[in-house]
Amino acid sequence: LGAGQSIQKTYDLTRYLEHQLRTLAGTYLNYLGPPFNEPDFNPPRLARAERVPSATVDLDLWRGLTDNARLAANYRAYSRLLCYLRALDGQAGTAELRHRLGHFCSSLQGLVLSIAGVMSSLGYPLPAGPPAPPGAPVAPNDFLKKMEDFWLLKELQTWLWRSAKDFNRLKKKVPPAVVTLRLEARGF
Amino acid sequence: GLVQSCGHIIPESPVLALGSNFTALCILNESCLDFGNIYANQIIWKINNRVVPKEQYREINRTVSSVIFNDTSSLATLLTCNVLADGQIEQNIYGITVTLGLPPEKPKNLSCIVRQMSQLTYPMTCTWNPGRHTFLDTHFRLKYRWPQESFPDCIPKGANNSCTISDVQFFVNLELWVEAANALGKAESDPLVLDPIEIVKPLSPHNLSVNSGILPTVLKLSWENQISGAVMKLKFNIRYKIVGDTNWMQVPPEDTASPRTSFSVQGLRPYTEYVFSIRCMKEDGVGYWSDWSEEKTGITTED
Repeated sequence: LGAGQSIQKTYDLTRYLEHQLRTLAGTYLNYLGPPFNEPDFNPPRLARAERVPSATVDLDLWRGLTDNARLAANYRAYSRLLCYLRALDGQAGTAELRHRLGHFCSSLQGLVLSIAGVMSSLGYPLPAGPPAPPGAPVAPNDFLKKMEDFWLLKELQTWLWRSAKDFNRLKKKVPPAVVTLRLEARGF
Repeated sequence: GLVQSCGHIIPESPVLALGSNFTALCILNESCLDFGNIYANQIIWKINNRVVPKEQYREINRTVSSVIFNDTSSLATLLTCNVLADGQIEQNIYGITVTLGLPPEKPKNLSCIVRQMSQLTYPMTCTWNPGRHTFLDTHFRLKYRWPQESFPDCIPKGANNSCTISDVQFFVNLELWVEAANALGKAESDPLVLDPIEIVKPLSPHNLSVNSGILPTVLKLSWENQISGAVMKLKFNIRYKIVGDTNWMQVPPEDTASPRTSFSVQGLRPYTEYVFSIRCMKEDGVGYWSDWSEEKTGITTED
């Protein structure tokens, strides 16, 4: 795939993930039950939730990054978010919800691969080493566990929202198809 | 007296390629030599009770006889090693079943389609040409992967030329290939690389409604799309005819080549009942048209 095509696919996938997460998050929060599924529920971020890559960034700083740095930040974030999501995936109540979470996890895995594809097509190295596994001990009680799930979904929505903008901007910077001029070796 | 089990045949129960050559050995037990007074040169090879011509035998030594078949096509299932005990009574020493067949050919013409089943369900069915009949138990597997991620093989159920993957991911290129294997070998199809989003057959639009407008030559169609815009943007074909007519007319495709959920058909005859149907596909024309929707009728107002 050329860089332009690779970025377009990654952008489409990010939008697709946003679409999936919109309905999935609502269903999952209903599964968690009150207060997590109440529209105005906006709890403080507890120390435990810090482990999830925060989507809160200084937009000027973020825009000031090089394309390489921004892609790498996206790559690292989704690699870690995927780990947490997989931990979430196994317990969800209904079979339907588990299936949709499984599908979403697979999509997110696809996004990590796609970002890697974009980086290599642009000649950028992949961030070194696998993401830090969420090895922290399980939340001490059910409420805090649900709080972590709540923050994971919230951060993921924000990451996807911003990544779609990142890839949309990147798409415009990279010419659609870099025409490779094949110089015929005739007297050149 | 009774002849005990006085020998055996190597190989035990071979699977052989049709048309290949084959050699079997009948090995007599030493104990039988002395007791039964039988030697390898007395061995008679049979195929399903038909004696094999002696020219195909060879005495390897006093306990081992071999038989050679230059073309296994003549070999039937049962090959036996027998001996004339005491020169008179033919006794069976051992027998093997021979299975004949062909190695699998390279599966060809692998193609796939994603048929949308519901808002969130997109199974992908792949089909291929399995190649010649092999006369053997031949297993097919549809294998698929992303660059750094493999998925569980798709094992066909009942058929040997198609398999359905229940849950595909869009917007990531997938590499697929078919593997065929039996006792005589294995063969793989050429790989197919595709993004499942490019082979979708969407569900047809539904809840089609037809409403007359102010003008007697216009009817307004409204419908619901069954695939989200985040998955794919759609274009449409709209066809219509006067109730009772046989020939369909179609709205110029360029007029419905963009995402929408309604369209006003113009240039109709006043006070006339029309029947409409609509179908959709990916806006860029990559993929398959949906089936035509259920038909709905509407009547233009009087002039």
